[in-house]
Amino acid sequence: MIRGIVNILMGKQSLKEIGVKGLLFLSAIFALLVIFFIIFFLFKEGYPIFENVGFWNFLSGKSWNPTGEPPSYGAFPLIAGTLLVTLGAVIIAVPLGIGCAIFISEIAPHKVKAVIKPGVELLAGIPSVVYGFFGLVVLTNWLRITFDKPSGECWLAGSILLGIMALPTIISVSEDAISSVPREYKEGSLSMGATKWQTISNVIVPSALSGITAAIILGIGRAIGETMTVMMVTGNAAILPQPITDVFSPVRTITGTLGIEMGEVASGSTHYHGLFGLALILFAIVLITNVIATVVLGKLKEKHMPTSKKKKRKVISPVIMQRIKYNIYVIFVLIILWLLVMWLGIVIAVLTILITLCCYFIAKKISAKSSQRVAFGLVTLSTIIVLFMLGIILYYITANGIGALSWEFLSQSPRDSGRAGGIYPAIIGTLYLVGGAIFLALPIGIGAAIYLTEYTKEGKLIKIIRFGVENLNGTPSIVFGLFGFAFLVLYLNLGVSLLAGQITLAFMVLPTIIRTTEESLKSVPQFVREGSLALGATKWQTIRKVVLPPAMPGISTGTILSIGRAAGETAPIMFTAVVFSQRFLPTSLLEPVMALPFHLFVLTTSVPGSEQNAYGAALVLLILVICLYLLAIMIRDHYKKTMKW
Amino acid sequence: MIKMETKTKKMVLGTTMGIVVIVIVAAVLGGWFKGGDIQTITVTGSTTVLPIAQKASEAYMDEHENVDIRISGGGSSVGIQAVGEGTTDIGMASRDLKDVEKTNYPNLKGTVIARDGIAFIVHPSNSVKTLTLEKIRGIYNGTYTNWKDVGGGDEEIVVINRDSASGTREFFWEHVMHKEDFVSIALEKNSNGAVKQTIAQTPGAIGYVGLGHIDPSVNAIKIYENGEHIEPTAANVLNEKYPIARSLNFFTNDEPKGLAKEFIDFILSTDGQKIVEEEGFVPVE
Repeated sequence: MIRGIVNILMGKQSLKEIGVKGLLFLSAIFALLVIFFIIFFLFKEGYPIFENVGFWNFLSGKSWNPTGEPPSYGAFPLIAGTLLVTLGAVIIAVPLGIGCAIFISEIAPHKVKAVIKPGVELLAGIPSVVYGFFGLVVLTNWLRITFDKPSGECWLAGSILLGIMALPTIISVSEDAISSVPREYKEGSLSMGATKWQTISNVIVPSALSGITAAIILGIGRAIGETMTVMMVTGNAAILPQPITDVFSPVRTITGTLGIEMGEVASGSTHYHGLFGLALILFAIVLITNVIATVVLGKLKEKHMPTSKKKKRKVISPVIMQRIKYNIYVIFVLIILWLLVMWLGIVIAVLTILITLCCYFIAKKISAKSSQRVAFGLVTLSTIIVLFMLGIILYYITANGIGALSWEFLSQSPRDSGRAGGIYPAIIGTLYLVGGAIFLALPIGIGAAIYLTEYTKEGKLIKIIRFGVENLNGTPSIVFGLFGFAFLVLYLNLGVSLLAGQITLAFMVLPTIIRTTEESLKSVPQFVREGSLALGATKWQTIRKVVLPPAMPGISTGTILSIGRAAGETAPIMFTAVVFSQRFLPTSLLEPVMALPFHLFVLTTSVPGSEQNAYGAALVLLILVICLYLLAIMIRDHYKKTMKW
Repeated sequence: MIKMETKTKKMVLGTTMGIVVIVIVAAVLGGWFKGGDIQTITVTGSTTVLPIAQKASEAYMDEHENVDIRISGGGSSVGIQAVGEGTTDIGMASRDLKDVEKTNYPNLKGTVIARDGIAFIVHPSNSVKTLTLEKIRGIYNGTYTNWKDVGGGDEEIVVINRDSASGTREFFWEHVMHKEDFVSIALEKNSNGAVKQTIAQTPGAIGYVGLGHIDPSVNAIKIYENGEHIEPTAANVLNEKYPIARSLNFFTNDEPKGLAKEFIDFILSTDGQKIVEEEGFVPVE
């Protein structure tokens, strides 16, 4: 900063340059403050439970019963529930997601791509409550009947739904990463005689690996953080599945616990601190995931970009590395074997292994062209599966909801507990909430990301900031809701209000916006910036006219995903902004609102006989989000047309 | 050609943004022009009491132009916490205050607005039609795990419980479970409606709801006590035969005043109590 002022005085840089840099710096600092304040608040409110109950007891206690006599605060079954459900979701979402992303960016013909890409992003718009409802009424029943279990509310139901919910994030961000790989790489590989599949698997995907890994982490974050869906379909029994691989056992996740118990805790009570303790544990899980991811990313960068700065590290002898890798592979295979035996029985497990071995040997023998056909077939299959799931859910909502749509429905207040009348105040309330949240988060997020990518060098400070952003990104929406409730509603005395809801939602989408903006800015090749600067443009001119426009598609994608989240989220607004019914629209920011996702949640879980209106509300929410998406897609396409590498 | 395309795109973009802006402005203005002083109160809490509050507020608002009564659920504990902390005007609860709550929020005043019974419901295909309170406790503490242990067919019992914020659960826990721990494999639902929905879909399930929430999609179990099979009906709560009966309360910070008082008075009036009866609950004497 001081150097900046000196530069102005000496006439080296214009006031405008320094002004812009200062503004961006402020955004970055503000984002940082928010992030660290939330973390600090969690620690402050969560620490007493560890003092009270004992850190190890809290983590490993087998019984969570805060309202029992005597109350017990053992988080182990909840931690296990969260990990198991997320694991299942990742197993489902990652292969399907990456396959679909490859299909969209490399294999799909242009017209198909133009339809599928927005279609997949549509999946992100479906509110978590709708997934939960679909799960509650369709999926759990199907599971119960097909597998002949007493109840379909279980781990598997949660994982399937979470997997579907993580897919759009993984697909969109991966697809952006894959399409950002410079054409020269692709052209170079093809011109040397590689088949398309060989190019994809050996050149394109590895170059895009950084973006793909980011996509997977974002997807995992989405899965870990989901509250409403798991609350509705996992059964919420705080137990460890017996045996641990029983996917049909009910489980309870940490997020579910927070969602169920948050509203009832008295400020400062042991139960209150217990919930914050859970939030801290969740945060720690996200932290560990991110640390692992950062290490993996670091390894990838070293492997594929020999020009990156190499840190002087203690080098483990390659022989020992080989041995360690070999041992890890063996253990990995053994775990897979064990899982197969537990889930499918020994006969089928052996058969599966034989078939896999056969495939492996065949793959080695057949020609590149044939293996390309097989690979493309699998990739297309994964896309079809994803689209099929989208299709079922959309069909379900539309078929049941279309009957409820009418002008009355859209313009009147609800009557008879929501079974009759309309949802007008809920529509407007949702628009207010999302509008306010984006209005707050977009400028700060983009400003912070620009500052972090363009104005700073890779260093310790940047690493810490990025770390903070990553972790907040994975923080579940319910934790934001908890923070919003404890800090904004109670402590700052904003009460249950529109403003509290907007701020909470803004905090929630801020990390996503920062992350995706950063990724798109980084995908602009360095030579473009250098060329611009070499021609005499100032830094800000370079950013505004040369770097930002090609990054706009990525930024829009991030905005779309954030809008989708903000519009469909129930957990952050449940205790900070909403009421189930009110007659007039709010006239100030300090009044509560109705909101579509919350309205849907209450209708589907507490008001029997309201199915027709519930589907109608879901359909309206969907249409609302689609319109927002279409707008963002048009913006993105407009910018894509003007970008030429 | 290209120039026209961009221009058209810009027009479309501009128009869409314009429409969005107009909608938002209209919404805001619509909110502003609600003439005169609007009185508002928020009512939060028990999902058992929610249908009564909803219906009553609609009836009340039909008669009074400039009044907005905002309703939310969440469970009795949420209602009590909210009214205690001052984030709501009236807290609905299907139970009485706990000692902890009396200490934390000493100014809360409760008004009984209806009486209710807790009914146990099962899937219509379940052959079990009557149970003793002992057997019910046995099911909920994990002693009995199969319907054949309590006189039904050979089917695993799926125990449906309410979440810890529920007043219904709290009452059940005190008066039927005698404060024993629930079996850990019980599924937790967050409202009466959710419990009912699950039971209606799951042949082996059992759960409990307030009287007003019983409907033809489920079967209500009779309680066998003192030689009689007592059906959970409003009549049986009124004549004090049904053993699990409770009061439904509205809590306010200090004595109710202003719109809150008027609303509570309305519910206690003949019109209001008629609504209570229509919803399937028991009017106060």
